[in-house]
Amino acid sequence: MQETYARAFRSWESFTPGTNLRAWLLRILTNLNIDRGRRAQRTPDQQPLEEGDYFLYNRLEATSGETDEERILERLSQDHVAEALAAVPHDFRDVLVLVDIGEFSYAEAAQILDIPIGTVMSRLHRGRRILKQQLAELAVEAG
Amino acid sequence: MSEVDPCDWCEEAIQPYLDRDLNETDVEKVKQHLAACSWCEKRFKFESGLRRLVRQAVVEPMDPALKAKLAALRLEL
Repeated sequence: MQETYARAFRSWESFTPGTNLRAWLLRILTNLNIDRGRRAQRTPDQQPLEEGDYFLYNRLEATSGETDEERILERLSQDHVAEALAAVPHDFRDVLVLVDIGEFSYAEAAQILDIPIGTVMSRLHRGRRILKQQLAELAVEAG
Repeated sequence: MSEVDPCDWCEEAIQPYLDRDLNETDVEKVKQHLAACSWCEKRFKFESGLRRLVRQAVVEPMDPALKAKLAALRLEL
């Protein structure tokens, strides 16, 4: 799948104008942007973020007493994930969509968004932390 | 030179590992650590499951014409 997208991306010039791949990705990004209003205020960008990539797992494990990773994952519903993603500020989310969903490489995402690769990596890092923070709140609220 | 805790190292490496952005040496190092450390292995499985959830959460039906175009591109590889 990654090859397919990468190949499609490399053929970008020959595909344009009106390239459907671009339209498709933009639709994902736009739909998320429309959604985000409701929770956006709850995620000021300056909010201090939890340290460490494992914190979501650790939080869910600690609040459930469950130790099986599949069962822990089941505490996160599709709705939680969609809502959490919609609350990630859009600069960060664009990178998340391209890399986590579109499976573009960092270099490809940098080219698509016209930002340096270091910025892709830092936004990705921060975007994932924000996503996890949102998920932790939603899952703990849901019990 | 201070030794980095292998679980801390693994925690940092999981996302680039899932992004296929690690070099071969580090990929091997992650695999060996996960095989030996069930604590990190659980967390790794959770992280890859979370990726799957994120992908599923925003699945947009792809335009059939685009799908055909991508399929054609794949055949050329």
